[in-house]
Amino acid sequence: MEERTAILLLVPSFLILILIAFYPFGQVIYSSLTSARFASDEPTRFVGLQNYQKLLSITIRELPLKRDANGDVVLRDGVKQYESWVRVLPRQPYRYREVFEVGLFGKRYVVGAISADFIRAIWDTVVFTVIAVLGETILGLIIALTLSSNFPGRGAMRAAMLVPWAVITAVSARIWEWMLQPSRAGLFNTVFSYLGINDGSTNFFGDRHLQLPSMIVMDVWKTTPFMALLLLAGLATIPSELYEAAEVDGASKIRQFFSVTLPLLSPTLAVALIFRTLDSLRVFDIFQIVLGNQRFSMASYTQYLLIGQRELGMSSAASVVIFVLIFAFAILYIRTLGVDTE
Amino acid sequence: MRRALVALLAVAAIGSLAWAQVTITVAAGAVGQELELTKAGAQRYMDSHPGVTVNVLETPDFVQDRLGTYLQLFEAKSSDVDVFQIDVIWPGDLAEHFVDLYQYGAKDVVDQHFPAIVQNNTVDGKLIGIPWFTDAGLLYYRTDLLQKYGFSDPPKTWAELADMAKTIQDGERAAGNPDFWGFVWQGNAYEGLTCDALEWVKSSNGGEIISPDKVITINNQNAIDAIDRAAGWVGTISPPGVTSFGEEQARNMWQAGNAAFMRNWPYAYSLGNASDSAIAGKFDVSPLPAGPNGQPAATLGGWQLAVSKYSQHPDVAADVALFLASPAEQKIRAVEGSLNPTIKSLYQDPDVLKANPFFGSLYDVFTNAVARPSTVTAPNYNEVSTKFYNAVHSVLTGQENATDAMALLELDLQDITKAAIPEPPTFRRGWGRTFGSGPSPMDRHRRAGRSRWTKRIGTSSGLNVAEDARCSLAWRSGRPSCCSFPPSSSSS
Repeated sequence: MEERTAILLLVPSFLILILIAFYPFGQVIYSSLTSARFASDEPTRFVGLQNYQKLLSITIRELPLKRDANGDVVLRDGVKQYESWVRVLPRQPYRYREVFEVGLFGKRYVVGAISADFIRAIWDTVVFTVIAVLGETILGLIIALTLSSNFPGRGAMRAAMLVPWAVITAVSARIWEWMLQPSRAGLFNTVFSYLGINDGSTNFFGDRHLQLPSMIVMDVWKTTPFMALLLLAGLATIPSELYEAAEVDGASKIRQFFSVTLPLLSPTLAVALIFRTLDSLRVFDIFQIVLGNQRFSMASYTQYLLIGQRELGMSSAASVVIFVLIFAFAILYIRTLGVDTE
Repeated sequence: MRRALVALLAVAAIGSLAWAQVTITVAAGAVGQELELTKAGAQRYMDSHPGVTVNVLETPDFVQDRLGTYLQLFEAKSSDVDVFQIDVIWPGDLAEHFVDLYQYGAKDVVDQHFPAIVQNNTVDGKLIGIPWFTDAGLLYYRTDLLQKYGFSDPPKTWAELADMAKTIQDGERAAGNPDFWGFVWQGNAYEGLTCDALEWVKSSNGGEIISPDKVITINNQNAIDAIDRAAGWVGTISPPGVTSFGEEQARNMWQAGNAAFMRNWPYAYSLGNASDSAIAGKFDVSPLPAGPNGQPAATLGGWQLAVSKYSQHPDVAADVALFLASPAEQKIRAVEGSLNPTIKSLYQDPDVLKANPFFGSLYDVFTNAVARPSTVTAPNYNEVSTKFYNAVHSVLTGQENATDAMALLELDLQDITKAAIPEPPTFRRGWGRTFGSGPSPMDRHRRAGRSRWTKRIGTSSGLNVAEDARCSLAWRSGRPSCCSFPPSSSSS
């Protein structure tokens, strides 16, 4: 009887879940198997896994040495030259493009993919996530430890800390865009040129080597408060008796941190890490606003497929790939960090 | 309870009778004064047509975001918006969602407009949008600085521009402004770079990326030279950061008095002469310079009004669109908002010329503006343009040389426009030059073809991309004498 009541009570929420989660997701999976075009009357065909094949096909080929007409290796400045990837990578049925080249054991290999931009987006997003989340965690922990100690004006400091988190991402992305302008009109270039670090014209968003670091700095600035807030709550749950006992036993402050604070904080830390990791794997706004079509995150590439190329099928497939990837990360975290799933 | 319900229904019925007039929604831009001007125009229509209510819907400023908004409405076949303000590059891509305005009375007025824009807006004989206002790339130059350094006229060629920019830049820096640069333009990887680069290429007799009869022409020596020339400006007469400049970044630098020349659209004119501008009254505009063997070229920009196929009142909506694009309305927009009319006769109108003196002197620039290849590549223009500006951007930032970038671009454009491409030669097969002995057919080709391709191969970084691309083209067009490797059908 009680069981039946429970089931009856669960039905509405389950129906809502089907309506707002399972149905749309099923729709995405379905359209990922078709050639659907966005906002078009073109007939849609069922294409099976072709969209996934186009998104995820990767190949590695060895680049042969470049030789001149006599069969001698071409040298330039004493360095052996290799053939272009265009000659090596397959062209049928879809053309592969270069993702990157690596040298290994004296040979040179090229990694190619049909959707080189998507593969690059996956790589960039993962790098972005790992470094940004690590930075946020360390800085957030430092801030949380500082704010959990007693000092005058603690409440005001806690409130002030939250400001970056409270600013709308679109707005903060614009603010950073102004600060990182490629001329002395931007704050960073002005400061750097006064300090003699650069000539005041560093192109933070145009230089491929500076794009990801710029994105990471923006993200760390924005989400460290969130991390600090979560960890602060975790710190508050640690009973002060433990520190008193450690004090009596003669443990140093550093020893106290590693033997008391960190173990007791780890469940909170794990939750915070999961939140932030899954969130930043989905990063869209700062990439879209600042880098546009120059360089993609996984999510902004999905948007480009949908709006820029109007490939609804491909775009859905990319969404499913992102979902699977995020799912994998979540499981990995739950397994390794031993989050209580009971 | 029941009586209340009846009363409510009665009120609703009366209400709907009172509202039995047609409501038309116009999705319009809101950059600068655009929104107020459109609202005023809608009000004038309502004053003369009491049966119609015209709402103006504000849409995002960024072109790509606006396109996204529109696409969502089209995907839902929504009748919420009746009239759309569409970019000059969209008629081809979006044609299937709009009515043919020729069937709603546009035939009588279309001759008043610039023929190039009408041509651009015509897809399969249907007029997709009525031209509303136009844009063309212009060269802004500082009259005071040109005089100071002894130049009488603005530059006629890109080489002259580079020389003048260098002289003025060196002089101004020596005079104590370390932030001064010669020439600013739009170098970020976005649609604006497609516009700028098309001007460099077209003005150097390098074609229009894809010709109107659908031939991919971009991979030619004139185009390569033009893009190389622009890459040479970065860090010399243009700031290194120009490769992340859009219109506004360029204008900010220019308007702060930190640049001698700027490439931009006409909108920067009235802003440059505003009271808060450091250069008010110290600049003028001229046509853009030309390359060594070309004519000046300005990329065509601007906006049209199109009527949705899903509108419930397409006839009224078309009437609103034609009213807003009529000479009287365009005149008001030109005088009050410096929005270039698309109507030829307005360029002789004294009121328009008084507000915008350069409209008269640059009439030819506006009439001869070069359209981007949007109609011929529909519905894939956006992809074509993305590949093009990314290729040019990679040259500007020094990741790629122009020869290889254009060769790769040619391949990409083939893929997008769905042209057949043969499989690459594998090294185990047929490439005697690598594994066999004696001269391979490829070597013979290379010697025989020297007269035609030597220059390009000679300037390449050592990659053979250009050559490979050319060979695939030859196979596709049935000229196998050019290259030796077999096409995919026979290679298995």
